[in-house]
Amino acid sequence: MNTPVLSRQRILNRVRSATATVAKHGGQLAEAYAALPRPYIRKGQMSAEGRLELLIERLREYDAEVVESTMDALPVTIEAQLAASGKHRFVVPSGLDPEWLVGGFDWKIDYNLTTAEIELAEGVVTAASCAIADSGTIVLHHSPGEGRRVITLLPDWHLCILRASQVVETLPEYFDRFRAVPALITWVSGPSATADIEMTRIKGVHGPRFLHVILVRD
Amino acid sequence: MTTAILDPKLAPPFREAVLPVLRNPMLRKNVAHATEVIQNKRARLVAEKRDWQQLREAASAIRAHVLENLGAYLEQFEARCTAAGGVVHWASTADEARQIILDLLREEHATEAIKIKTMTSAEIELNPYLEAAGVRVHETDLAEIILQLGKEEPSHIVVPALHINRSQVREIFSRTMGLKDLSDDPKELTGAARHYLREKFLNIPTAISGANFLIAETGSVAVVESEGNGRMCLTLPQAMISVVGIEKVLPRFQDLEVMLQVLARSATGERMNPYTSLWTGVTPGDGPQRFHVVLLDNERSSILARPKERQTLKCIRCAACMNHCPVYRQTGGHAYGSCYPGPIGAILTPQLMRMHYAESLPFASSLCGACYEVCPVKIDIPAVLLDLRADVVNIERKQAKRAFDLMYIGLRVANTLFARAWIFHATQRIGRIGLRLFTGKDGWIKRLPSIGGRWTENRDLRGLPNQTFHEWWEARAKENQ
Amino acid sequence: MRASLFITCYNDTLFPETGRATTRLLERLGVELEFLQGQTCCGQMHANSGFRAEAFSQAKRLIRLYEDAENLVIPGSSCVAMMRDQYPGIFEELGNESQRRELAAFLPKVYELSEFLVDKLHVEDVGAYFPHRVTYHASCHGLRGLHLGERPFKLLSKVRGLEYVPVENMERCCGFGGTFSVKNPEISQAMLTVKLHDVLSTRAEFCTALDNSCLMHLGGAMHRQYAAMRTIHMAEILASTESSPMEALA
Repeated sequence: MNTPVLSRQRILNRVRSATATVAKHGGQLAEAYAALPRPYIRKGQMSAEGRLELLIERLREYDAEVVESTMDALPVTIEAQLAASGKHRFVVPSGLDPEWLVGGFDWKIDYNLTTAEIELAEGVVTAASCAIADSGTIVLHHSPGEGRRVITLLPDWHLCILRASQVVETLPEYFDRFRAVPALITWVSGPSATADIEMTRIKGVHGPRFLHVILVRD
Repeated sequence: MTTAILDPKLAPPFREAVLPVLRNPMLRKNVAHATEVIQNKRARLVAEKRDWQQLREAASAIRAHVLENLGAYLEQFEARCTAAGGVVHWASTADEARQIILDLLREEHATEAIKIKTMTSAEIELNPYLEAAGVRVHETDLAEIILQLGKEEPSHIVVPALHINRSQVREIFSRTMGLKDLSDDPKELTGAARHYLREKFLNIPTAISGANFLIAETGSVAVVESEGNGRMCLTLPQAMISVVGIEKVLPRFQDLEVMLQVLARSATGERMNPYTSLWTGVTPGDGPQRFHVVLLDNERSSILARPKERQTLKCIRCAACMNHCPVYRQTGGHAYGSCYPGPIGAILTPQLMRMHYAESLPFASSLCGACYEVCPVKIDIPAVLLDLRADVVNIERKQAKRAFDLMYIGLRVANTLFARAWIFHATQRIGRIGLRLFTGKDGWIKRLPSIGGRWTENRDLRGLPNQTFHEWWEARAKENQ
Repeated sequence: MRASLFITCYNDTLFPETGRATTRLLERLGVELEFLQGQTCCGQMHANSGFRAEAFSQAKRLIRLYEDAENLVIPGSSCVAMMRDQYPGIFEELGNESQRRELAAFLPKVYELSEFLVDKLHVEDVGAYFPHRVTYHASCHGLRGLHLGERPFKLLSKVRGLEYVPVENMERCCGFGGTFSVKNPEISQAMLTVKLHDVLSTRAEFCTALDNSCLMHLGGAMHRQYAAMRTIHMAEILASTESSPMEALA
């Protein structure tokens, strides 16, 4: 029976001797890594407007509802979205912009809410960190304005407020923008889905089934 | 239902294992339909992606680079993950991995665990081991629940229940979930599973997962999924245990820009799968406060040591190979006797077994090359298959039973026949005369004895012409003199 | 233009008419063709079955035989694929430096038939006449090994009188795979059933390809089932003219 320390050493020894004959870049791992070919497209070609149009198109393909707004009109737009939902109780991240907590609704601010309390919410409102137009992906880094992961997971309805300046065209552009890696990331591309039963696509298994996006021209 | 054996030590050889599958029209119809759907979706997205071949090249290069420097990247991952509050364990064998996981569960006083689908746990046969030790494991992927509740075996690595149709799912759910009025509408069935699982997600504090990628640079773990059960399992519990093959490392966070683009398109024919989660160690206040990674070797280091076979480990488990394999299309996964089916299974399984088992798998291929063409990380599966065939034969050469193997003898004899033109020509003349016995008036052979019978079972063979090409040439040359 | 014909072991024995057609075709196009009587086999069957040492001995012999040949023309895509895809690895593993040099000098001389016509002779219209409905099966070795691409289609499109009809799922393997059909006959037959359905659905009179191994498999089933279709190697279509139609019809 191998002790933990023995196993670690055993595996690393086997791995090292397995690749001992591979020519290395004079022992410099970073150099070998830098020399890797990257002939794929990194930067998109679209204009800012084109990018936004593409994102909206992709989001709508996912049955997400997308409306545009300006910074000034944002609280009004939020109010309209919430009112149209027919829902009243919303959970929000502790760092959400207070101006977005429009009147007439029951706001549960996530100061360490219990799961049971989150379950009572009918929807969640958050900001986002980035959106990738090519794949219709919204990226959450779970910052104070985006909230703990659980609050965008348990509720059935999610309103996401996205600024136009947060939208990139390609996935590599996202990685260019965020060189400092966040500890927690969720990439969301459409509602959850399964095709496990006879390859019939069913949307909305776990996680919010309804996504609404306000795209703010900033 | 099927009674497939997915343990390579117990499974019958491929030729035998395919027979019940070939006689199952429903399974064959489902497999053909499923593979066709994914094929078409993938094809559309690949056609739209102008830099698809460039992405493949980069993905292949990144994976090859990782494997060549695996030790360094594993150590880097360990250091960063540990610094971020994770605990890294190392398991040389499947046995050790199971033991480590059980010990961790005991530390958590866990009698139950929720689980995200992971091929690695199937490889080490984790569930039966834990169940025997008194820990109930609850699968949470829709397909995995269907299989677990229905006591079935998976037949595909991305869509494991594709051999089960909706009425069979209805039967399983209504029986095990006590739902009398359940219809067979997939939407309703999915709703039943959603409801069934909600209670488990909220109340079971320990989760087991695998991982799609480990990021060495940051010590992060990435899980790619469609249903959201992954997010549930890695957000709600108190403790998380991830069992991951050592080959799953990527050097840097940025490398996901390549891998995520090729993975979703290859696996499910989407530009991006619905949910991809990344976490680094432990984050106070968000998610499990105890996080363990169990790094699994289980013969991967042996595969790593063979230059031609090393590429097997580039695999990112997208299943594109089996979706395009004309053999798999007719059989689904059950015929491969392993949790890894299809082309990747045909090269991975025998190697994980150190060529002691599953030796029929490298021959379960017509070498058409469709797998290599679609593999996002450019694993030359046909080349590895050929190498493994040579391995199997080299083992056979030392075994006494080869004296009774018609094919072995036949090939050894054939080699002598080809060694000299005069022997070859004489054999042709003898064969021509001999086969006249079996040739009908129309010049065709309808039945051959012994191993020749494998041809004539379903095909005719035209009788050997009276003159070979080389004889014709010789005669013509003489004429022209 | 001089060329040496490697007929392939199975064509020599089972399909000499493909060789005769290839000869007629190339000589009609002005090629000075030679045939070395010492040729036997390229070693593919052994290599694919895991008998690498045996394949190596056959490969060495073949390369030596064609030491002085200028162009080697082969009416069999799987044999060409064997030489290009597998010989290098086998020589790397089992050969010495001098043998690897011989191989390096040998490989550029090798041409599959359609490659020789299109790339070396620069002809697409070979003056053929074949007034029949024809479908084409893309043998896996030619498709993915040799990347023959448009060549077969260019050649077929110039054949006068030929009515071409594409087969669905053209790129799907027919299930022969050499020793695969002997080691796993049931699954090979299942794949054949599926392929035959697609091929017969074209309602062509002939199914053609650039490799007789696939055609033997498909054609054997067609004959057994009294299907209204026959197989024919493309060399025989291309060799057919009004005055000299393909042998089987003459």
